[in-house]
Amino acid sequence: MTSALIVTENLSKFYAATPALRDVTLQVHRGEIFGLLGPNGSGKTTAIRILLGFLRPSSGRASVAGFDCWRRSVETRRLVSYMPGELRISGSMSGYGVLKFLSGLREGDGLDRAVAIAERVMKLDLGRKVRKYSTGMKQKLALAQAFADPTDVLILDEPTSALDPSARADVLQLIREARDQGQTIVFSGHVLSEIEAVCDRVAILRRGRLVHVEDMGARRRLRMLLARFGGDEPPPFPEELELSVRRAEGAAWLMEHRGELGPLLRWLAEVDVQDVAIGTEDLRGLYDQYHGPGAAEDGEEFPQ
Amino acid sequence: MRPFFTLTGKLVRDARWSLIFSSGALFALGWLFVHVASLNETRILKTLSAAPGEKLRAFRWMRDMGLEDAPSSTAIMMAFWNHPFIVLVVAVWAIGRGAGAVGAEIERGSLDLVLSRPISRSAYLAAQALVATAGLLAIALSLAAGAAIGSWYNVLRTPPEWLALLRPALNLAALGFAVHGYTLLFSSMDLVRWRPTMIGSVLTLAGFIARVIALIPIFKDEAWRPWAERFSIFSLYNPVDAVTGREVYSFDVSVLAGLGAACVGLAFLVFATRDLPANG
Repeated sequence: MTSALIVTENLSKFYAATPALRDVTLQVHRGEIFGLLGPNGSGKTTAIRILLGFLRPSSGRASVAGFDCWRRSVETRRLVSYMPGELRISGSMSGYGVLKFLSGLREGDGLDRAVAIAERVMKLDLGRKVRKYSTGMKQKLALAQAFADPTDVLILDEPTSALDPSARADVLQLIREARDQGQTIVFSGHVLSEIEAVCDRVAILRRGRLVHVEDMGARRRLRMLLARFGGDEPPPFPEELELSVRRAEGAAWLMEHRGELGPLLRWLAEVDVQDVAIGTEDLRGLYDQYHGPGAAEDGEEFPQ
Repeated sequence: MRPFFTLTGKLVRDARWSLIFSSGALFALGWLFVHVASLNETRILKTLSAAPGEKLRAFRWMRDMGLEDAPSSTAIMMAFWNHPFIVLVVAVWAIGRGAGAVGAEIERGSLDLVLSRPISRSAYLAAQALVATAGLLAIALSLAAGAAIGSWYNVLRTPPEWLALLRPALNLAALGFAVHGYTLLFSSMDLVRWRPTMIGSVLTLAGFIARVIALIPIFKDEAWRPWAERFSIFSLYNPVDAVTGREVYSFDVSVLAGLGAACVGLAFLVFATRDLPANG
């Protein structure tokens, strides 16, 4: 992860007076899997469509490898492969015909690889007409093409929504392999466990605003600590511990720790602690801070 | 250029059945009209030569189609090319291709997949316009081919020359191009198929009705009649003039082609600068 491949600066999009995206500034680095999280209407699709040059930003800018996504849209799309949530194409074509057509729109690149992925990984019969494919099979076909495109960036919009569990696992593995081969992946979805499993960083959007970017590597090291101390408040934390209080639950304190576990355990052994439980927190906990019950309303401060 | 040709090839495949049907129908009509002309040629000539001074509806109709005294067999045949079915087939193709180019693709969600590949919006619309225009030429030439081949099997006083039939065919294609142009313009602004289809159909039908009303004898001296003529693009479709060599033919074709080209040009401008929101 050396340089930013996708950059947005104060990116906003309004439909008349209705904001779809507000002042979003972020960077996606080369070779990372970047997750986009948020409920419907949070701005994920708008952000993706701006990156693809489908929408003109109301203000701010977006670029891929330095190419402005609106003004240099064709150059941008030469670097980007996109898989929409659902494959909508003429049902009269065969699976092979669709792959040939889509690779033909990219100078014919990637057809052999797309056929190989579709047949060997996705187990598709490419001779069948697409109208006879199920929704999941159509999604597999689109995925085969997306993973075969020789591009720097792969944008996946809910890539597993219609897939069975084993196919989902295959797709997550293909995403990791694409990252390992140097591709940058933007993964928009609603399945938190999948995002958590593959993403290096995750952006959470809420009503068009970017409210949080989480480093998933750090999150995987995160330990939640629920402790009851001898006094009314926890003893002062040593500076070397990356410990912070999230909230008090009666006499118990819920804290998060992002550092090594050894110093924490040693500190706990030294202080007056009556009860302690240490665990991890999945992405749901973070997501619920912004979108769960009791999440801050607009205008309130979000937890950092 | 490969993405452009790939897209063009797909559009041709998608449109092939309607193109075959439309071309086949007009080929058959071209043949039929030669047959009808050969059966009625003598009667028509008699009507035309006997008519001056008389208020015969048939005479007026034939005069309005551009027929003069002692017309050639080809000119008589061309009067039949004003048949509404011919115009209908061309208009259906032109409106269908125009409305389907953008609005319908957004509605279906298939535009995303195509335009997410490295193909410019201009190239996309150029492929759509190319297939529609080539289709119009093919349909119009089928009518001419039907007439040309039909003239081998029917006895005509003055059989048509092949090249003479190309002029009215080009006039018909230009009419279709104008219809396609304004429908494409509305489609390039829209998100659905039905609206540009409706607008294109209403404009075309209104033009056709205006032309028919302007031709009704009882309205001949009305002050608004010239306006009804000018309003209608159908007043620029004159197949009889095309074969009788009147100068107005070049004007008709130029105005129709110019109108179509202006609308297609505007459609390019609109489509290149508009937002493409997600369907639904």
